[in-house]
Amino acid sequence: MAASQASQVINTQDITDKSRRDLLLLLEAVRGKKNLVIEKSLASIIGLFVKFSTLQEYGVDKLFFLENHNVDSSQRNIVFLARGDNARVVRTVAEQIRLVRSESKIDHDFTVIWVPRRTLVSNLVLEEHGVLGEANITELDLQFVPLEPDVLSLELEDCFSDLILRKDPTPIFAAARSLMGLQKQYGLFPRILGKGDNAKKLSDLLLRMRSEEDVNASSDPSNTYLTSFGLTPSSTIENLIIIDREVDFPTALATQLTYEGLLDEVFSVSHNQTEVDSSILGSAPAPSTQPQNGTSPAPTTATKRKVQLDSSDKLYPEIRNVNFATIGPLLNRTAKRLQSDQQNIHAPNQSISDLKSFVSKLPSYQAEQASLKIHTSLAEEISKFTKAETFRRVLEVEQTLLIGSEGSTVHENIEELIARDTPLPTMLRLLCLESTLSNGIRLRELDNFKRQILQAYGYQHLLTLTSLQKMGLLVPREANRGYLNPIAGSAGMGATDWNFVRQRLQLWVDEVEDEAGKDKDIAYVFSGYAPLSVRLVQAILQKSYLQTLATAGGAAVAPAATGAGWKGYDDVLARIKGATVDVVQKGNDTDASHARKTLRGNKEGPKTTIVFFVGGVTFAEIAALRFVGKQLEEASGRNLVIGTTGLISGKRVADVAIEKGTFGS
Amino acid sequence: MSKPTADWERVGDRFYRKTQLYTSVFNPELELENYVVTGAPYSGAVALYRDEGKIYTYRGNQAAKSTIDIHSCAGKLIRQIPWDKGRIKALGWSEDERLLVVTDDGIVRGYADLQGDFTPFSLGHGAEEHGVQACKFWSTGFVALLGNNSVVAVTRYEEPRPQLLASAPPGEVVSWTVIPPEYTSSRSVEVLLAIGKTVYVVDAAECEDRSLEAGPFRHISVSPNGKFIALYTEDSKVWVISSDFQDRFSEYESKVKTPPKDLQWCGNNAVVLAWEDELHLIGPNGAASKFYYDSFMHLLPDIDGIRVLTGDVCDFLQKVPDPTEEVFRLGSTSPASVLLDALEQLEKKSPKADDDIQLIKANLDEAVDVCVRAAGQEYSIHRQKQLLKAASFGKSVLDLYNSDDFVDMTEALRVLNAVRFYEVGIPLSYDQYIRLTPERLMQRLVNRQEYLLALKVSEYLHLPVDRIYVHWARQKVRSSSTDEESICEEIVRKLDGKRGISFEEVARAAYDEGRGKLATELLEHEPRAGKQVPLLLSVGEESIALDKAIESGDTDLVFFVLLNLKKKIPLSSFFRTINSRPVATSIVESSAIDQDRELLKDLYYQDDRRIDGSNLLVSEALSAPDMGAATDKLKMAAKLLRDSKEFAPQVAALEDAQKLTRFQEAFEKDLTERYVGLSVNETMSKLIKAGNMKRALKVQTEFKVPEKTYWWVRLRALVSRRDWRELEEMSKGRKSPIGWEPFYDEILSAGNTKIASLYIPKCTTLTVGERIEMWLKCGMVAKAGEEALKAKDRNALEELRKQASGPALLDVERMITQLQKGR
Repeated sequence: MAASQASQVINTQDITDKSRRDLLLLLEAVRGKKNLVIEKSLASIIGLFVKFSTLQEYGVDKLFFLENHNVDSSQRNIVFLARGDNARVVRTVAEQIRLVRSESKIDHDFTVIWVPRRTLVSNLVLEEHGVLGEANITELDLQFVPLEPDVLSLELEDCFSDLILRKDPTPIFAAARSLMGLQKQYGLFPRILGKGDNAKKLSDLLLRMRSEEDVNASSDPSNTYLTSFGLTPSSTIENLIIIDREVDFPTALATQLTYEGLLDEVFSVSHNQTEVDSSILGSAPAPSTQPQNGTSPAPTTATKRKVQLDSSDKLYPEIRNVNFATIGPLLNRTAKRLQSDQQNIHAPNQSISDLKSFVSKLPSYQAEQASLKIHTSLAEEISKFTKAETFRRVLEVEQTLLIGSEGSTVHENIEELIARDTPLPTMLRLLCLESTLSNGIRLRELDNFKRQILQAYGYQHLLTLTSLQKMGLLVPREANRGYLNPIAGSAGMGATDWNFVRQRLQLWVDEVEDEAGKDKDIAYVFSGYAPLSVRLVQAILQKSYLQTLATAGGAAVAPAATGAGWKGYDDVLARIKGATVDVVQKGNDTDASHARKTLRGNKEGPKTTIVFFVGGVTFAEIAALRFVGKQLEEASGRNLVIGTTGLISGKRVADVAIEKGTFGS
Repeated sequence: MSKPTADWERVGDRFYRKTQLYTSVFNPELELENYVVTGAPYSGAVALYRDEGKIYTYRGNQAAKSTIDIHSCAGKLIRQIPWDKGRIKALGWSEDERLLVVTDDGIVRGYADLQGDFTPFSLGHGAEEHGVQACKFWSTGFVALLGNNSVVAVTRYEEPRPQLLASAPPGEVVSWTVIPPEYTSSRSVEVLLAIGKTVYVVDAAECEDRSLEAGPFRHISVSPNGKFIALYTEDSKVWVISSDFQDRFSEYESKVKTPPKDLQWCGNNAVVLAWEDELHLIGPNGAASKFYYDSFMHLLPDIDGIRVLTGDVCDFLQKVPDPTEEVFRLGSTSPASVLLDALEQLEKKSPKADDDIQLIKANLDEAVDVCVRAAGQEYSIHRQKQLLKAASFGKSVLDLYNSDDFVDMTEALRVLNAVRFYEVGIPLSYDQYIRLTPERLMQRLVNRQEYLLALKVSEYLHLPVDRIYVHWARQKVRSSSTDEESICEEIVRKLDGKRGISFEEVARAAYDEGRGKLATELLEHEPRAGKQVPLLLSVGEESIALDKAIESGDTDLVFFVLLNLKKKIPLSSFFRTINSRPVATSIVESSAIDQDRELLKDLYYQDDRRIDGSNLLVSEALSAPDMGAATDKLKMAAKLLRDSKEFAPQVAALEDAQKLTRFQEAFEKDLTERYVGLSVNETMSKLIKAGNMKRALKVQTEFKVPEKTYWWVRLRALVSRRDWRELEEMSKGRKSPIGWEPFYDEILSAGNTKIASLYIPKCTTLTVGERIEMWLKCGMVAKAGEEALKAKDRNALEELRKQASGPALLDVERMITQLQKGR
């Protein structure tokens, strides 16, 4: 798999190990038994790299979630683990400490571990609550969490709402810090490319941090390497490509059609886990899925079961990225293979050595069988969902919008779906999709839709609709905005010329399979629509491929695109909203850069590209990027690593906006 | 030149040596016996203060003023701290030369850098009432013993958190000591208390009695590596045991009636007993040697030996290091010793030099190594040179030799000799130098304001020099009396272009000195925006601080500035400040949503953001306790927007929302069912389900619900109510705004094929094939056949025949023949 290749460059195992080590060291520093109070969203992240049993070995007696004042005082030591950059969380921690202190009879020792760092605001808040002196304060610099060897995520749950709705740039800062960490380890990214205003902010911040790093490094006596050389360009990493989610909302809004994407759509996947009704999976719990979930001792409701979804599974890596339409045959093939294996054992004339070799394979065989069983059940459940008539209708609308044809049926269909009480998130996704793809909906029509939404789902969604407008997802079309207006200028386009971009970058591909039935373009992940974000990456890394695609598609012949960076695609970038980033980073000390290159003994130059999504990435995009990565690897031995602030899907996007309260409740 | 072995002393089978480091250390009039003396680790500074419990000669008023004096080991006064802050109970040093002064009321004052002001903290845990008895220090912390025998540990000085250890039994603590955390198995500090006849070991969790019988122990001391404990018993014996109290290694009887005033370790393998002017050095297996001094002395233990300080001299007592012993021991025939001899012969131009070399030819490389290492252990520059020359000579004979060690040693020695010079007064041994590290040595030099030396040494050793410059600048800012402009100019001129200079630290020093303007000026040269922020806040430049915080991209800083700002200035100017800075505004907004809605309202009002203001009221309405309050909020929300035409749809929606609740409340009254909280469509649906068609219709007209929507709602409600009669009635209708197909679909999926089939003929827009399919889904093959027959579709009929059975099969066959006939 491509993933294993990438891991050679950026050692994700190291990151995992370091996080685990750091956490356990902090826990060890608190002597004796302790109760651990953990912020809920952190719990499952921590669960990605350390098991509950390990925590127990380090003296953790009980584990609590940081919510509704449930901490008990059974242990003298109480350790809090929470995000220090969120004032609300900090306040909860402070209140809990005060509460326990006033209620409990014993003299407690409090320790607070702030993730990813101790902030000034946290100090201030603790001080206001009068508990700053009470607690031993440490920090756990948790940055990237490797979800897979080729996917590094910051797992910031609120990053989308922070960035897009509240316009709070905290996630950008967190991303910059983490990327800076990578630069310190692997050297400067020789070239930073990006699209979108937030991408620009991030790259500016990276440049600023680099210049500040000189000062920081020299005041840190332990860091002799940096003091003597300064940072030099990396010899392993070629590019950093930053994609701002705001550039490509439609991809996030569209229904993902890969297996993993649909799992996310139907069951929601978070931190490599999903929860499903145990009735779906049938009774017998497969041993391979359970032990990883040790972090939460709180009994999950009996009807829910957690399923681990990562590359440790036997079957999942093969099927996660395929289009759901082809999942049936794939599972079928696996089932047949397993069956034939089984028949082999039952064959009467077996020698002892045959038997021995089989027995040694038995555990993996069983694991595979268990995994097959789970995925067959899950796929069956998903197909119930995809076969529903509304799903078909929704998809039809989506595809019409993505193709870009001006069908009048779209609005009728949407209205009908509203009247039929289709779930609100789905409807909002469709409306937002239309709005983002055509730079707004005509005011009269928009008001009409809004009215229907309010009538169908309740007037509390006035708030929802305002939020969507603030996010730029559902806006009225303005005549004087966007590409039609020559004054809108060069610096940052306010709107994207989708028709132009669609044609130039071949965002719609009619045939996604070649004669042999194999996927031939990334468009397979949406059964025809090629995500803009990934096309942008291809515009940098696979220029000739895009070129042939464009010619085959009968598009006007564009100037031959060669060279590095965005070269050859400046015209498209100018018509996509948001700033364009293209920065070349050179070392302070050219000699040192050369020395480093020679030391590596690598004549061919760096080959890894990091694609970083500000504001979240979808599973479908990950699948598409893996597809690109595989092609790159076969062609030139290059590979891709995906970085992101978190995972996102249309459902989550809508969820950010949706007002949860109702009248009179 | 005296012989190298002149100051050696044999103790058992080993040699110890006493090196005189400095002479004329203190003023001869200083009565050292009346002072408490304590030295920083790694040959650091020495602090003295007069022991108030002792009588001293009256010298007039001036001398009666109490001070803490900090000297170098050579006696040079580094700093004098006037003292009027209560009774000093303990004085100690940390590894980084931070002086800690503990008074009996439990206040600890830490004087960092030998220069700066102190930072105080309190021990707490009852220290105030019971009083501090004594303290024991280790490299990074200390333990205080209180009057009630409780023990309080401080494990770090940055943000100290005094921690109460497990409680010890009552009784007089005869002597006590600590094992530093790095040497204990639990990795937390352990305190050894000699109470009564035994010793208790106290740590954070428990107090354990080691059940010894031979007490009371006058003295107890732990070796520098934490492995051994030396105890002095009442019957004047010294015991050396392992620190886990499992093994006893040696015993020595001092035969002196008066108990010694001090017992300390000299390195890890000898113990020193000190009386006023007499020293017993006890090596392994109880072997001992005695030293006598002319005057009162103090012991300053270090990691590899012990410094002996009298009014006149400063000596260093240590075990003769192995390479030194190998080279210089009388009658030594080791290769290194021969090599040294060869050098002497060479200098005499004697041919014997070659004989020597031939003699040790086989072990020459080892001899060179030993000479190099021995050179490192020498304090005499002459002998250092001799040994290095010998090594160099040996090297020249060897064909292949890696000279790295030799070069490193010459470098190290050059540095060591420079800092040992009496005006600097840091008599580091080579081992101490390695343990201390060159970087921290630079810090010590800087603390002594030896800037030039520090710079030279740093450049020589390729160490970063920015700290030195910054320290110099800070000192400059503190002490210079010239006008601020020229100070700033001088500092900037000197520091400009140097890599990694932190102007922020310099500026902070200026600020602490009360030179606010200078601080701001200096701050402008700081490259890191974030670092400027806290200081800018302190000097009252809030809006610059805010800009810098935004520039740094660190939202924590921005938020921090904002919180400070909000406290400081009136709300209106606060809003004005953030108004022009979108990032600041969004951070205020996103934090206020969780905690301070009133602030948000003011903000929206001030900025004339009506939609936001109105939405805020809507969300308040959502969380209102009762519908009356909610309606009021909605009214207010609508009022906010009413003036402007552009918000007309919003206002209409808000009014509809109120109207809806009015309707719903009325329904609730009439129908005793819950309606509030439902949407318009849901309300209609619920009404239909309950059979209240009229009311539903009224809602439709009242809210202008589109016809299509209404039909859909009605259809779905009826189906879910399984109101087949009504549905059958509807199939007789002439026209449906949503077509008839949905009726078929919905009813079929509810499972009623009969009613569903009623709608098939009405779906006239569909193709024949589709209609056949529809009939089939209802299980009516014959009807499907009729459809095909009407369309004269032979193939379809053939298909149907395959599926049909029973009477339907006959029908289909009949139709096929009919079709054939028709032809």
